[in-house]
Amino acid sequence: MTTFERGQLQRIRLHVLPTKRFKTFAISLFAGLTLDEATVTPVALLPFVLRRGTADLPETISFREKLDDLYGAGFGFDVYKRGDSQIVQFRMDVINDAFVSSSTPLLAESLQFLGDVVTDPLLEKDAFNSKYVEAEKVTLKKRLEAIVNDKIRYAAERCLEEMCADEPYRLHPLGKLAEIDSITPASLYEQYEQWLDQAALDLYVVGDTTLAEVTELVTHAFKLKEGSPSTYATPNVHHKVKEVKQVTERMEVSQGKLNLGLRTGVGYVDDEYPAALMYNGILGGYPHSKLFLNVREKESLAYYAASRLDGHKGLCTIQSGIEFANYDRAVVIIKEQLESMRAGNLSELELNQTKAMISNHLRELQDSAYEMIAYDFNGVLTGKHRSADQLLEQVQAVTPADIVKVAEGVQLDTIYFLRDRKEA
Amino acid sequence: MQTLNYPNVQETLYREVLDNGLEVIVLPKEGFNKTYATFSTKYGSVDNHFSVGSQTPAKVPDGIAHFLEHKMFEEPTGDIFAVFASQGASANAFTSFDRTVYLFSATEQIHANLETLINFVQNPYFTDTNVDKEKGIIEQEINMYRDNPDWRVYFGLIDALYHKHPVHIDIAGTVDSIRQIDKEMLYQCYETFYHPSNMLLFVVGGVQAEEVFQLVRDNQKAKNFEPQDAISRYFDDEPDSVKIKRKVTELPVSLPKCMLGFKDKRAGLTGEALLRQEVTTKLMLEALIGPSSKLYQQLYEADLISDSFGHEYNSSTGYSFSVIGGDTRSPDELIEQFRSAVEAALASGIEPTAFERSKRKKIGGYLRMLNSPEAIAGEFTRYRFRDSDMFDVLDFYEKCTIEDVNARLREHFDFEQLAVSIVEQPTA
Repeated sequence: MTTFERGQLQRIRLHVLPTKRFKTFAISLFAGLTLDEATVTPVALLPFVLRRGTADLPETISFREKLDDLYGAGFGFDVYKRGDSQIVQFRMDVINDAFVSSSTPLLAESLQFLGDVVTDPLLEKDAFNSKYVEAEKVTLKKRLEAIVNDKIRYAAERCLEEMCADEPYRLHPLGKLAEIDSITPASLYEQYEQWLDQAALDLYVVGDTTLAEVTELVTHAFKLKEGSPSTYATPNVHHKVKEVKQVTERMEVSQGKLNLGLRTGVGYVDDEYPAALMYNGILGGYPHSKLFLNVREKESLAYYAASRLDGHKGLCTIQSGIEFANYDRAVVIIKEQLESMRAGNLSELELNQTKAMISNHLRELQDSAYEMIAYDFNGVLTGKHRSADQLLEQVQAVTPADIVKVAEGVQLDTIYFLRDRKEA
Repeated sequence: MQTLNYPNVQETLYREVLDNGLEVIVLPKEGFNKTYATFSTKYGSVDNHFSVGSQTPAKVPDGIAHFLEHKMFEEPTGDIFAVFASQGASANAFTSFDRTVYLFSATEQIHANLETLINFVQNPYFTDTNVDKEKGIIEQEINMYRDNPDWRVYFGLIDALYHKHPVHIDIAGTVDSIRQIDKEMLYQCYETFYHPSNMLLFVVGGVQAEEVFQLVRDNQKAKNFEPQDAISRYFDDEPDSVKIKRKVTELPVSLPKCMLGFKDKRAGLTGEALLRQEVTTKLMLEALIGPSSKLYQQLYEADLISDSFGHEYNSSTGYSFSVIGGDTRSPDELIEQFRSAVEAALASGIEPTAFERSKRKKIGGYLRMLNSPEAIAGEFTRYRFRDSDMFDVLDFYEKCTIEDVNARLREHFDFEQLAVSIVEQPTA
């Protein structure tokens, strides 16, 4: 696999992967800041306001028309948590000029567009445009209020919130509803300036280009301040669980959502990380895993029963949708699977299947520009650069004893259940 | 083996129809690690009344195509997911209105995985016990969707649009309908719709075309399929009108969800004509209500829509309708403002600049789609089952004129043909 070429321009780190494999250029800008109660809400609001207009394209409609003119360039953003950081990610993808009769160089235009969005917004004196700020405050509110609509995600987030009640990680990446009203166009602009000064900034480009070309284009496209890049702090993944938290919440639902939160004590930087990936894979990452086989196939209790590993925070979460009356049985069966992992009931077949699946995933991600970017960014985020090929080798070398060692360190922290309003 | 060159998108496709009727398409993607394969039958949730040759037509319970999809993964030797996992492949399947698709993606052991895919789909194994066991799992799947407001508002709309056509039936059926399913019915549906002549194998990724064809030919030669007469599908006459003008569902939601659907009176298009109508309609909708349209901005500024607002167009020979909507503080105001804006557009036509921009956007979107093996396989199969070619889409977008779009605008937006589906907070 070809690797990213690295560069730096003032506060931005540049990562460019020259390849002719795609019909597009994929661009991502990551801006990360430590997750903090005081800043989480205004920082979440920033990308919403920035995508309304720039100094050059002040009207939202002309801003969006520009994207259509660039052959429907994709433009979007996301705000999420990784480890103890709140990350704002802007994404653009635009087709390679070779496929269309375009008079404008599409990569240059796209980087200019992104540069304007992030570094040359529409301003009124020392504040953002007040109409856009007020409208996007409403949008952000709606987004936070809408979390409850998708019960599967709602339950997953509530479980994390309960589990991490004493850590910044309890915060939702989109911030707090109650803090939105007090944000003003001026206070937001102040926050924006700080954010540009402090955030870790990483710009990725994948496509038929070079680091030299991207460096040149970014120099013109971004209004950058002097300075050097910020780095991410490494989160502490060691957390002693005193007693298992049990939370039941009631709502008008047809199906119960059962979520369990586990602490693995293993982070992305640790040598045990490949074994933790194997632990999660055998427990519940796949349709051949213990949770799927025992909760769904053997007992017909659920349609989905799976686990997910968060290496940046050292968590493993389990989620399943069950009938309300089956709560006790489902919890018992899930705990049995955790115990079985600890006891080392790991068959040769499970081991081989899981290694094959993880390896496949690591090879497949090299076919997608955005997945390559996301994978590489793990290295930036943690300071631990482990190529997909290296991780693949490390996973292949994991032994049952390594997995049992991870299992012994796994602590059940929280059991969260979303159920109906009828009393049992 | 037929070679199909598409120089404008720099792709080459290889195609062969085997003696038993199975159509095989291979699209080699240079430099890709991954191979993605789909094995699809032209059989979905709408095919609930059918016959083969001169057989007596049969009616089967709602949700049976989806039930069958679940049950195909069980073999006498156990669960087929385990075999795929041992071969490093991630496998899945889904059932839509008009097709059932089995798939895997893998970076190694491609030949073994292809054999596994073909063999498990061509080897049904249903017993009374395993059919019964599946009912509990599918009940939970149905309940999961019942709690999902996006799903409910969307399927609520289709239910409001159609009186008779089975597109209005939930793909998974209901808890009651799936209880009626037994193994004999599953075998009957299987024998009817899983004949190779009703199926398409699509392989895309880092493969050599001739190797794939050789493997599939050898695999099929070793199996015996009697030739099958044509399948007849029966649909009751669908009235032009919508069934319910306004359908309201209560679920806990932060804001009401509101979707507007316009039902085309003219159904029955096939092949190229169907594809052309789809392209024209999508372009028209994009120009009228896409994110860069005046209407979108107007509704956003009136706080009537959010980023969830979108549109789509769904069409096949038996049904065709648009879906427009998202979260809104006021369904009534949204409908009213939408209506007056559409009426203005009906009088003035689509703005030429908006038309040109939307065309560029659609062409760009189409080319971007070609980066994704999953999207290529999915779209190619969808179009192929409607007797059209996905690779014609680009040309149709390029040739579409503003006159086509305006004619379509006036034909499609007939407010007599409007149904509205709303999901809102329970009143109490």
